[in-house]
Amino acid sequence: MSEEILKSLAQLFAIITKQDTGVSESERNYVINSFKKRLNLTTAEQYIALYEEFLKDGENKEEGKKRLTSVKDSVRTLGICRKINKTLTHKQKIVVLVELLELLKTQGAASAQKEEIIDTVSTAFNIDKAEYAVLQTFVLKDDSELFETEEILSINRTSAEDFKGKSRHIMSENMHGNLFFIRVASADMMFLKYSGHDEINLNGLIIAPNTVVLFSQGSTARSLKGGVFYYSDILSQFISESAQIRLSFNVTNLEYRFPNLAIGLRDINISEGSGKLVGIMGASGAGKTTLLNVLAGLETPYKGEVLINGINLHKEKDKIRGIIGYIPQDDLLIEELTVFENLFYSAKLCFRDKSDAELTELVERVLADLGLSQIRNLQVGNPLNKTISGGQRKRVNIALELIREPSVLFVDEPTSGLSSRDSENVMDLLKELTLKGTLIFVVIHQPSSDIYKIFDRMFILDVGGFPIYYGNPVDAITYFKRISQQADSDKGQCQTCGNVNPEQIFNIIEEKVVDEYGNFTPNRKLTPKQWFDSFLSNFQIKKLEDIKDAKVQMLAKPGKFKQALIFATRDIKSKIYNRQYMIINMLEAPLLGFILAFILRYKNNTDHSAYLFRYNENIPAYILMSIVISIFIGLSISAEEIIKDRKILKRETFLNLSRNSYLISKVLILFAFSAIQSFLFVAVGNNILEIQGMFVTYWLMLFTVACFANVTGLIISSAFDTAITVYILVPLLLIPQMILSGAIFSFDKINDSIRSVDKVPVVADLMASRWAYEAIAVAQYRDNDYQQLKLENNKENLFQLEQKENITNYHIVYVLPEIRERIEYIKENFGSVEDSVVRKCETDLELVKYELQKLSFVTKFPDELKLLKYGSFTVFKGNDLLTHLAKLEMFFQKTFNETQKRKEDLLSKAEKAGQNLNKIKDNTFNESLSDLVRNATAKKRILNAGGYLAPKLDYVYFAPVKVEGKYDYRAHFFAPVKQFAGIYFNTYYFNVSVIWISTLLLYLVLYFDWLRKLLDFLGKLNFLKK
Amino acid sequence: MKKVILFSVLLAAMSCGSGNQSNDAVIGGDSSTVDTASSNSVVLPQDAVEGIVKTIPSPIETSVIIKKAGGEYNKAILNPTENSKNYSSSFKKALNLGVYGADLGYINIYEKNKESLYYLQSVKELADGLNIGQFFDFETIKRMAGSSKNADSLLNITTDNFNQINDYLFQKNRSDQSVLILLGGWIEGLNIMCETAIKSKNPKLYEKIGEQKIVIDQLVLVISSFESDANIRELSMGMKEMQKIFEKVEITYTYKESKMEIVDGIPTIVDKSESKVNISESQVLEIAKITKDLRDKIVK
Repeated sequence: MSEEILKSLAQLFAIITKQDTGVSESERNYVINSFKKRLNLTTAEQYIALYEEFLKDGENKEEGKKRLTSVKDSVRTLGICRKINKTLTHKQKIVVLVELLELLKTQGAASAQKEEIIDTVSTAFNIDKAEYAVLQTFVLKDDSELFETEEILSINRTSAEDFKGKSRHIMSENMHGNLFFIRVASADMMFLKYSGHDEINLNGLIIAPNTVVLFSQGSTARSLKGGVFYYSDILSQFISESAQIRLSFNVTNLEYRFPNLAIGLRDINISEGSGKLVGIMGASGAGKTTLLNVLAGLETPYKGEVLINGINLHKEKDKIRGIIGYIPQDDLLIEELTVFENLFYSAKLCFRDKSDAELTELVERVLADLGLSQIRNLQVGNPLNKTISGGQRKRVNIALELIREPSVLFVDEPTSGLSSRDSENVMDLLKELTLKGTLIFVVIHQPSSDIYKIFDRMFILDVGGFPIYYGNPVDAITYFKRISQQADSDKGQCQTCGNVNPEQIFNIIEEKVVDEYGNFTPNRKLTPKQWFDSFLSNFQIKKLEDIKDAKVQMLAKPGKFKQALIFATRDIKSKIYNRQYMIINMLEAPLLGFILAFILRYKNNTDHSAYLFRYNENIPAYILMSIVISIFIGLSISAEEIIKDRKILKRETFLNLSRNSYLISKVLILFAFSAIQSFLFVAVGNNILEIQGMFVTYWLMLFTVACFANVTGLIISSAFDTAITVYILVPLLLIPQMILSGAIFSFDKINDSIRSVDKVPVVADLMASRWAYEAIAVAQYRDNDYQQLKLENNKENLFQLEQKENITNYHIVYVLPEIRERIEYIKENFGSVEDSVVRKCETDLELVKYELQKLSFVTKFPDELKLLKYGSFTVFKGNDLLTHLAKLEMFFQKTFNETQKRKEDLLSKAEKAGQNLNKIKDNTFNESLSDLVRNATAKKRILNAGGYLAPKLDYVYFAPVKVEGKYDYRAHFFAPVKQFAGIYFNTYYFNVSVIWISTLLLYLVLYFDWLRKLLDFLGKLNFLKK
Repeated sequence: MKKVILFSVLLAAMSCGSGNQSNDAVIGGDSSTVDTASSNSVVLPQDAVEGIVKTIPSPIETSVIIKKAGGEYNKAILNPTENSKNYSSSFKKALNLGVYGADLGYINIYEKNKESLYYLQSVKELADGLNIGQFFDFETIKRMAGSSKNADSLLNITTDNFNQINDYLFQKNRSDQSVLILLGGWIEGLNIMCETAIKSKNPKLYEKIGEQKIVIDQLVLVISSFESDANIRELSMGMKEMQKIFEKVEITYTYKESKMEIVDGIPTIVDKSESKVNISESQVLEIAKITKDLRDKIVK
């Protein structure tokens, strides 16, 4: 206490004691004792002298006058109080007030005048009238009156049924006399008073009967016969009615094993109700955090169960998830957002019913409560790039949970890395939460004395997951001292200062055996198992009855759509604040587009001065690179997304928020980014290369591919733990996309085991790049202005005419001669007995029949030829086949000539209509691309694909030549149409759909986290092998 | 359910629009929009046309004559290969295939093998465009062009190829294209001849030009039988103009009886008749001018 206070106190004492008839001896003694109790002898005497002086001072002046409370005294009292108001905390003022009231008691009945002065003091101190009245009763009145006061707790041997008073009451069988407690709610203080002949021992010190003593936090009052009263138990008597939550938290025979089956925790039994602050301590590696995680439902126990209100936490998660809160050791804050926004969005995700204004108010209030108002608009930043202090970070983390008020809260080492002042603040915060009824488990490491005493219960683990203590924190010290037979075992805390030393516990637990030279051996005096045995024999855990009827208060979470919206807003905000990220993201695509297109803008024609799109040989390469870039950018913007959020997600699992909403928000934001990026890319790239009229074609496909990559990125981001792993994986995902895109290596020239004569290999079908490349190439070739050239009254465009022309020509030049050759071969050789010849004839005949049957839409293939077998082959049949073939030749020839005429017609008419065909072709048609999609360099133009003939030229004109069943989607590369379910689709849209459908499937993989589960499963398999 | 509907709408949207069909449907698609009867009417019988075409000297023969007459190689008078990309219609493609064929012959005669590669490429390109690319084994030709020793065989191969094309086109009822190729080649050959003749003022070449009077009469006869096609009609008009100029050229025959001679050990009947061509320089210039005009129109 400061000099000022003591001086004021001396003055107040003087004013009060001199009232009425003047100072009595007992009053004077009380005052002297009061000072002596607080101060050392010399200073005490100094203030006693001061007190005497004040007394005299008054007496001299007022001698002979009527002993009434003088106006002067009142004024002086007020003056003193005002001075005190400025320096004393509320708690201290209460202590002063109790002190003054005690003074009244010294001379039996208090006088009205004295009481009046104390009243004045209490008013001046701004103490609540009702609270003061109760306090006054508690100090001054005798037992019978105390029984009648509701705000007081009485403890005696009267049984609950016999107790008739109005006060709260606890029965204690062997209690002699009455023990009273009072709680001053405004200051969160408790006082006790005892009347009787028993010896009441407060924190190891005997208290005098009928005196009011402060029952400070963490205190233990012990009656010699009547049992022990812990601070927390007494407190719960006062707050039980204000705490709405009825809660039982029962842990029975819990055992936890690590994935390698090593035991992590064993025989854990815990039983707690609401409003308790439970500490978990243990040597490092004892399994504190593991225990916390199991209790919080993050890890599944091997045996045993955790029941919250009778609901199994691990098996019926959905029923209770929302009531659990978890504050891990690491930060849960989104670095880019401000303190306020962090809390605001977290709150928004918890409360459906509250409006934004209400939420803002709530957040503001919590911030004010935690003294964080000043930093509300600061960006959180990361621990390396600090904007707010460590203590503030921790408090903001706790504030996240404070807002939502979970019924059970788990906190992992909240004080690590904080200054002692910050640590205390944080612990006070948690304590306050328990007062509202929250049950809090805290893993704590090396707590200070004050923090240690804040806990209601302490659970101590020893190495190997053995529980070795569960009970009152201060008692722990005496318990361990007693078991290890140390002196002074009954004293838990320092007699004079009240400090405890939690370090002692671990010193005792881990005490080492000393060898004959006096050196410590690595062996402990008592092994964890021995401590555990001693724990079993000394402690009996009383199970709270499971509260079955109580409704678990779930959070009023917003709907899934709303959640997604909140997630998305939060994410967008955090991204926008990250300026570097935004700039790079927005510039990356157009910059790459520029570099790529600028370099590839190749003027192939030496005679023309201008660049012509038509002769740029790099267009196919440009298409490939733009797809690769899209995949790459798509992967890289998404690959870290979930990893970055993992900690926050861990916390949000407790809110039981929808994973779908979270993922949808991620996906939508990434898609939006991809849309913009591909837009910018195409805008720059296509313009530089002068690709005309293909903007949407390129954009939609690149966007589609980027989205595919986004979801792929999210999957690996969700499945792997570190960003570096993910970035190492990117090439693994990207390079096969390049190899199997069909652009670098022709599908006709790859390993036989995956190659197919006339179809894209199935492995390549798994690559988005292949679909994208094909789609853009086909669309660029087919849908450009030149190929789409059309006369007004004609329904066929140039592409269609050329398609018909080329397909018929293929039949004339390749198919029919092939067939003819085969028929003639059979005709010549059908008498042969040589095996190889017979075999060739047989297969040739089948092929001939197949091909002719296929062409029966032209002329019906006669049934007798259809049924022709090699065995029944004759020269006449051979001739019949040739005759049939000739009919076909006629037809194709005619069709070809007609088509060519029509094409001729179209071109000349178009030219006459004033269209500059060469200019259109120069600007929209690309020769290299044409060579590519028409496979112009192929040496073999037709191949036997195993029973049927397949074209190796003009890919872009042929629909798939052989469709095996309705659902055979496969086709050769660059086919203009794809068949599925009996319908022919435009390749571009078909391929876009294929990629979107795969994206959807990948989203399912992401949603169910299959890759992560698979990796976990593989990890387990490895352990089994060992 | 909604999704199913959406999906099927999407499917429908994707599959609609013209051109999404199987190969059968493409080939079998209706062909009623074009009046093929009118465009395909040939006045002369097919075999008559074929007969005439075969008597007309190939462009390579023309080139041989030029070289023999001492003409110097002049690249500038050829049709630049870059032009090949500009011919989009079959009409132009066929004509210029002939033009490039003549150019190729000219180049080959002068053994400019490197140059011939580019012209081969253009020839191949146009042939592909006319769907007759199968007659060029480009790889072989390229290999042969690598060495000047192969100049002769290269010449033979390309000549063969042109002959095959001719046969094929007649066989496939595409004689119009065959005629166009021939015409293109002839005009280009004539053009080269005229250019060389004007430069060298070689009377032998004048005479050779004058001899074309016989050829043009036949050509006009053939081409006019395809006049139902607007493009060909235009070309035919040009030819007829040219024919008028050629009419001024006088060719006098002196008939002498044919004799039996032993050529390379084989008894052969040799035509001993002689023809004398009377052509003035101004006539040559006139022919050269109209040839160039027509040729420029073709290669444009």
